[in-house]
Amino acid sequence: MTAVHETPAWIAEITMAELERNPYPFYERLRKECPVAFIPALGFHVATTKEACQEVGGNSDIWDGLISPAGGRTFGHPNVLNANGPEHDELRGMVEPSLQPAEVNRYVEDLVRPIARRYVEAIEDAGRADLVAEFCEPVSVRSLGDLMGLQSVGSDKLREWFHKLSVSFTNAGVLENGDWANPEGFRPGDEARAEIRAVLDPLIDKWIVEPDDSALSHWLHDGMPEGQVRDREQLYPTVFVFLLGAMQEPGHAMASTIAGLWTKPEQFERVVDDPKQIRRAITESMRWTSPIWSAVARTNKVDTTVAGTFLPAGSLVMLSYGSANHDENDYDAPSEYDLDRAPVPHLAFGAGKHACAGSYFASEVCRIGLEELFEAIPNLERDENKEIDFWGWGFRGPVELHAHWEV
Amino acid sequence: MAAHSVRLKTLGAETLCGADQPVLDAFLRENVWLPHGCAQGTCGSCKLRVIEGEVDHGAAPEFTLTTDERAEGLALACQARPRSDLLVEPLADIADDGVVRHPLRDVVGTVAELTDIARGTRRLVIDLDEPIPFTAGQYVELTVPGTELRRQYSMANPPSETSRLELHVRHTPGGAATDGWIFAGMAVGDRVDVRGPLGVFGVGRPQDEPAILIAGGTGLAPMKSIVLAALAEGLVPEIWLYHGGRTEADLYDGDVFRELEGRHPDFHYRPCLSEQEWDGASGLVTDVVLADFTSCKGMSAYLCGPPAMVEAGAKVLKRRRMAPRLIFKEEFTDTSDLLSPSTAEEERT
Ligand SMILES: Cc1cc2nc3c(=O)[nH]c(=O)nc-3n(C[C@H](O)[C@H](O)[C@H](O)COP(=O)(O)OP(=O)(O)OC[C@H]3O[C@@H](n4cnc5c(N)ncnc54)[C@H](O)[C@@H]3O)c2cc1C
Ligand code: HEM
Ligand code: FES
Repeated sequence: MTAVHETPAWIAEITMAELERNPYPFYERLRKECPVAFIPALGFHVATTKEACQEVGGNSDIWDGLISPAGGRTFGHPNVLNANGPEHDELRGMVEPSLQPAEVNRYVEDLVRPIARRYVEAIEDAGRADLVAEFCEPVSVRSLGDLMGLQSVGSDKLREWFHKLSVSFTNAGVLENGDWANPEGFRPGDEARAEIRAVLDPLIDKWIVEPDDSALSHWLHDGMPEGQVRDREQLYPTVFVFLLGAMQEPGHAMASTIAGLWTKPEQFERVVDDPKQIRRAITESMRWTSPIWSAVARTNKVDTTVAGTFLPAGSLVMLSYGSANHDENDYDAPSEYDLDRAPVPHLAFGAGKHACAGSYFASEVCRIGLEELFEAIPNLERDENKEIDFWGWGFRGPVELHAHWEV
Repeated sequence: MAAHSVRLKTLGAETLCGADQPVLDAFLRENVWLPHGCAQGTCGSCKLRVIEGEVDHGAAPEFTLTTDERAEGLALACQARPRSDLLVEPLADIADDGVVRHPLRDVVGTVAELTDIARGTRRLVIDLDEPIPFTAGQYVELTVPGTELRRQYSMANPPSETSRLELHVRHTPGGAATDGWIFAGMAVGDRVDVRGPLGVFGVGRPQDEPAILIAGGTGLAPMKSIVLAALAEGLVPEIWLYHGGRTEADLYDGDVFRELEGRHPDFHYRPCLSEQEWDGASGLVTDVVLADFTSCKGMSAYLCGPPAMVEAGAKVLKRRRMAPRLIFKEEFTDTSDLLSPSTAEEERT
């Protein structure tokens, strides 16, 4: 292990709070001086350049999927993020059918458009809204909630769950002795998990005897021998993965797209005028403020060296995709949102065997959501009296997004 | 002249394109419709991806096709000439939208009428040797005699008349086609080279949404064609036509529209003057529209005229919550826009 005393002071002194407020300056220096670095405040390494993230994320001969300790504490085992080999194949095989692009195309318009319309109608005559709380998050959770079979769970409850799970998942800080810096930080996630089980257990009981077309019902039954279902304990950790990341991130992505476009009013207007450009606007936003900024990790099966840093077998390396997507080697002025930049592929959906299974679904949810918003409120404007604060190191997006328009 | 084969990836259509012929031109002549707008490199709506082969970008300006885009393999169909066989794919949707398209053709015509109808504005009627079928809202290009210069003018006649074109031309001081020809030596009986139809602006099929038409100056030309076609064929449930000018001297064809208004309860004509008090609407045409409608939800609009007016009109309609995909624009850009869009913009405003 890299000893703490070898660590330069600027790395040794970084805190969770600073990372969550704005990780970019620190990571910019890491990319330049130490692309794979041990961060004492986290207790593990972070990969920060595109090249390092591609190597660690994409090379499954050496690297296995692994969840950070705080993530593991939040989700439990086995979840799709830290399962490997046949166990991972089994979980991917379970979640993938409803997320394949061809399958998504079959249902996504009918699923998402009415939801997006409903949430636009709820705000359009008010003349103002916090788009994060009143549009992006509700459209995101309702779309996935209905796909999973959680129609009976309100959107506000689904939002509350992902917020609570998120607090625990990113409660990564450790003390020098390896103990949690903030053990209380896991309490919201523990509460959410208990509540989720109380709500889902009866639904699972029903799906066992009455399968339907919901994703969770398929997770129980697909590929199982006649008369058998998957053990719910095998499902829950991955259900928690979905109820956090998959619920939260399309909302982050939609909100960041709007916030990014607001930094370039001419580009904002162009996208509102020509909905066909919404896809590209979303792609650039994922690069600009990657929703899963630094939340997934890998561990090496053998000793290896990446970007000059020796990593003994069993190291934990966090993939900071949000930093890789600002890599100066690939992007000029990376901290600027720019719809017109050459679309060099980004890493916002990760790499290798553990790359996001829901990337197409997520992008379609964002596209349809923004299409409906801009169609119904083409005179949407940023409320200049309110700051736009981005927050988060594990997951990142605008905290609030205040807009107003003439009614 | 050497020709190359050009193929569209998704549609599979293939055409032969001369080494000095724009790809757009080659396809339109075969009646294979490709998305486009201005045919002069200013609007960017004809962008396509060159998947295989090489093109000469011709006169494509940097502001419409950036260096990055060229490096990515994009080209403007209206400017790009093939240097080899090509496989291409337009960026815009080429799905069938139910609009009947007509092949591009070159026809010679004779000037049948040339009249002053408003301040600095002439009606130019051309009898064609052969018909040019078109859709209401489209335009033709006239070649300035003795030059290679082509200028765009929108048809004002309804598409039911294909052998006689009515054009409205506004005088541009120092302009090659207007100052140097149409307002100078042109006379009845002159022969004129005409190429068309071009453009995607207009009403090509029945629509459910009522429409607001906003015209500045000779932007009225395509609107006249649209109104005549829409009323004759019942294409649009209700139409409001706004025509903006500075003073009464800028307005024309008011009697035509007032007569139509008398016969069609679903058609409304609203001329607006920005620099003259009168018994009609006063103010910028866009401000008049803003005052007339409290909400434009569920409506569509067609805007045509100087680029600054078209942009202002679109803003106003969005303020009134019209869906941007239902706002259709035709900007009368000219050589000065091509040279330097930003300075031209400043001069106009
Ligand atoms: C799709 C479309 C449809 C159109 N329909 C109509 C229509 O129905 N009716 C209509 O009246 N117009 C229409 N127009 C505009 C029309 O095509 C011409 O652009 C317009 O008539 C001016 O042409 P011109 O040759 O007289 O002027 P141009 O020669 O193009 O000159 C335009 C201006 O640029 C200046 N200029 C030219 N060269 C230079 C230079 N090298 N340096 C600096 N300045 C220069 C000139 O002095 C002049 O002020 C349409 C345009 C488009 C794109
Ligand atoms: C914009 C929204 C989203 C972003 C940015 C995003 C991003 C990511 C990233 C970065 C990973 C980790 C990849 C890696 O380890 O290299 C991931 C994993 C995953 N995502 Fe997403 N995601 C989004 C939405 C979704 C949605 C909506 C779903 C499901 C409906 C989903 C399902 C998954 C699954 C199942 C995994 C785990 C894959 C594995 O470990 O095998 N994601 N996502
Ligand atoms: S730029 Fe080619 S048609 Fe306008």
